[in-house]
Amino acid sequence: MEANFISEERFFAERAEVLNAWPTGKDVDLKEAVHYHENIPSEKKFTQVLKEADSEGRVLVQPRAGVALVDEHIALLQKLETEADLLPTTIDAYTRLNHYDEAQKGIERSLEAGHSLLNGFPAVNHGVKECRRVVESLKRPLQVRHGTPDARLLAEITLAAGFTSFEGGGISYNIPYAKKVPLELSLKAWQYVDRLCGYYEEKGVRINREPFGPLTGSLVPPCISTAVAILEGLLALEQGVRCITLGYGQLGNLVQDVAAIVSLRELSHEYFQKYNFSDYQLTTVFHQWMGGFPEDEAKAFAVISWGSAIAALSKATKVIVKTPHEARGIPTAEANLQGIKATKQVVNMLAEQVFICEKALQTEIDLIKEEVRTILDNVIKLGEGDLVQACVRAFSGGLIDVPFAPSRFNKGKIMPVRDSLGAVRILDWGNIPATDNVKAYHRELIEKRGQQEGRKPSYHMLIDDVYAVSKGRLVGHPRA
Amino acid sequence: MSTDKRSTIVLGVIGSDCHAVGNAILYRVFTEGGFNVVNLGVMVSQDEYIDAAIETNAKAILVSSLYGQGELDCEGMRERCIERGLDDIILYVGGNLVIGKVDYAQTEAKFKNMGFDRVFTPESDLQEVVKLLKEDIQERFPEQ
Repeated sequence: MEANFISEERFFAERAEVLNAWPTGKDVDLKEAVHYHENIPSEKKFTQVLKEADSEGRVLVQPRAGVALVDEHIALLQKLETEADLLPTTIDAYTRLNHYDEAQKGIERSLEAGHSLLNGFPAVNHGVKECRRVVESLKRPLQVRHGTPDARLLAEITLAAGFTSFEGGGISYNIPYAKKVPLELSLKAWQYVDRLCGYYEEKGVRINREPFGPLTGSLVPPCISTAVAILEGLLALEQGVRCITLGYGQLGNLVQDVAAIVSLRELSHEYFQKYNFSDYQLTTVFHQWMGGFPEDEAKAFAVISWGSAIAALSKATKVIVKTPHEARGIPTAEANLQGIKATKQVVNMLAEQVFICEKALQTEIDLIKEEVRTILDNVIKLGEGDLVQACVRAFSGGLIDVPFAPSRFNKGKIMPVRDSLGAVRILDWGNIPATDNVKAYHRELIEKRGQQEGRKPSYHMLIDDVYAVSKGRLVGHPRA
Repeated sequence: MSTDKRSTIVLGVIGSDCHAVGNAILYRVFTEGGFNVVNLGVMVSQDEYIDAAIETNAKAILVSSLYGQGELDCEGMRERCIERGLDDIILYVGGNLVIGKVDYAQTEAKFKNMGFDRVFTPESDLQEVVKLLKEDIQERFPEQ
């Protein structure tokens, strides 16, 4: 897979164009940026903090947060770093679509209004110097979190500013986040981002890369999210990235969730090594429930705490926290802090405990591994050595299919539903490759639920599942 | 001549918002509720809603926004409808419309002031919304 490595010449040719997309691009000086990173203290480096937590078996806690204006953003993160181990900078939705002119209006309107009207921090508009003010005002490592199909300029600016981790990937930041961006375009844009991180790596500056595990966050079966995570991991490795965090979004069934994190870690090593990568640093991230939340804050804390318990028992390296305001969108700093505190309490209480349920857990791990291997082996074959083409063909053929994705480049034939124990299974596989045994096993588990509820498994069951957590349950029972 | 008696409505998620789950569900509920639903999906601009409404002779536009920037995206929507000849079209908006956990009455007032006929939260009962929409269409377009 070394053949897919972007040469330095090609990288710099493309780079000139990338930096031209918005006036702040001209302030990025790569040599100076490498030097700037060399002077960042180790406790502010993502890779360093992840490495220590991994070796100590600790679960790191990270929120999401971002507002329109720099001083307001600094104040918000300073408040959160009193409890959080790792810090985010969540980017606004206009920047995610490269609408920097609209982001500019959002900044101006926020200044007038005296509070943020954007749902995140427009880092490209603020530019390197202002972003460095954020980095220098904080004590903990900073990561860019977003949902951008083409994040080349965003990466240039934020990495030059001293951010040490960058979330996203060519699949995971397109299929769940865009409507009509061709997959090949986003995959190539993300090859550029990975190559940029690879460039820093070559110069001795290690940047952490984190593909976005939960995808649409709506009943995504573990085999789908794991296959995508490993593909994006391989794509990053190809471009010289050496510090990768792979993720998974909580589904709610304890056994399935723990099995998913264990499988994700083990299968990643298996595939990375199969394709001859060895000198990498791999960690995992568990996302607390990404679906609809209860409006009631006490109930929201219960959802947060259950996710925290699974994060701790699965031995994920870090957990991304939700807040009691989740049902209503963007939280206040106080609500965000409460989510972090609730999470830390649970994670710390479970620090010494291990999950003992060997047989059920092993069955689930074996199942996920078999499913993922079937998908990956079929998908990788499609590319004839070219991983980008493999991904493009896999999505156009529906071999990888993400439930509820807005992208028209996603097949959308898959239909997941929960089984009687609340684990997410697949009712309609569409074109996703799976063995007959695996399909029969899913069907058997789903039919058991159907019998218990006295109804035939269908789209209605799925809709009930989508709303179940916000209405106080995991499995969506038939509505009266 | 079409024999279809169903009212046509235009549905979509406004601005740069990619929340697709609720949109899929709204499409089902309003279709099952007896409407001819033109679903534009996510990331819809004001003009895209209006174009679709003009082309299909729609009675109502249903705007969703879940990501907090709805306040910026929805501004001027009513004026734009009037400018393009849709003087009477019914405008509904629903979701998490502003940044932060703000009192609903305040948000409702803000969006009604922008010219939206009704404003809903994510907790609104969808069957109730279907009922309200039928009544509103009956009232505004009684001859049909």
